[in-house]
Amino acid sequence: MSVMTIYHLVAIFLLCMGIFGIAYRRTLVGIVLGIELILNGAGLSIMASAQLTPAPNELGQVGALLVMGIAAAEATLLLAILLVVSRRFKNVEAGKLITMRG
Amino acid sequence: MENLEYERLAWAVLFGHIAIIVVGGFMTVLSQSLVRALVGLIMTLFGVAGLFFLMAAPFIALMQILIYVGAVSVLIFFAIMLTNAWPGGDESGKSPGRKYIYAGLAGLVPAVMLATAVIRTAPPSFLVPEETEISVLGRFFLEDFILPFELISLLLTISMAGAVILAFEMRRKK
Repeated sequence: MSVMTIYHLVAIFLLCMGIFGIAYRRTLVGIVLGIELILNGAGLSIMASAQLTPAPNELGQVGALLVMGIAAAEATLLLAILLVVSRRFKNVEAGKLITMRG
Repeated sequence: MENLEYERLAWAVLFGHIAIIVVGGFMTVLSQSLVRALVGLIMTLFGVAGLFFLMAAPFIALMQILIYVGAVSVLIFFAIMLTNAWPGGDESGKSPGRKYIYAGLAGLVPAVMLATAVIRTAPPSFLVPEETEISVLGRFFLEDFILPFELISLLLTISMAGAVILAFEMRRKK
């Protein structure tokens, strides 16, 4: 087993935990935590693939930075959406949000 | 002799960080209080930053600490605070036991598939990665990758504007 495989297995572990969190958590905030785990695993996987193989290093680092930028943008929007949802429905449990009327 | 010692140290650092990531990951998805889950997420983020350092990419590791630990976690903390999801709130209390199994299956099945694929098809890799200079990285961003670079700034601007609009609309209705 090469070193890169270990990094990739860690990234897959993060993916697994993220999907488990998204399916298992009841509140929207918990689901956001799962999404962050998945995005982080994606960044780790991209970095390992570029740094430890003959592929150009810059490619992986740029990819990881782009993933981080997307995660930051997503976290901002999710905060706003969570605020709106919690004010409108008085709770943020995923199972209790039934109507989607704007 | 010295090289061997360095290699052993590198393995120890690698598995130490992996242990931090694993513990943090379990804390993130399993702890009852959301604040504790967030602490677990921060632990995982630090562990991944350590792996970036180990892959000879200190700039990305520092960016990880700056953006994820510094910005994203604070945003999620605000989300926890503003939605009244405090300890003893929404995430505590028992959930049906079957949910554990279904959620575990949903996570494990793709993970096992991907893991077998990765283990079977992994190409040989370097043990010692090279470090890339930040100036090379910057040039790469501004010459080859200029379109994604501009698009990500556009994305950030739009998401900030969208967040502000969403939050202010609610206030006006009050």
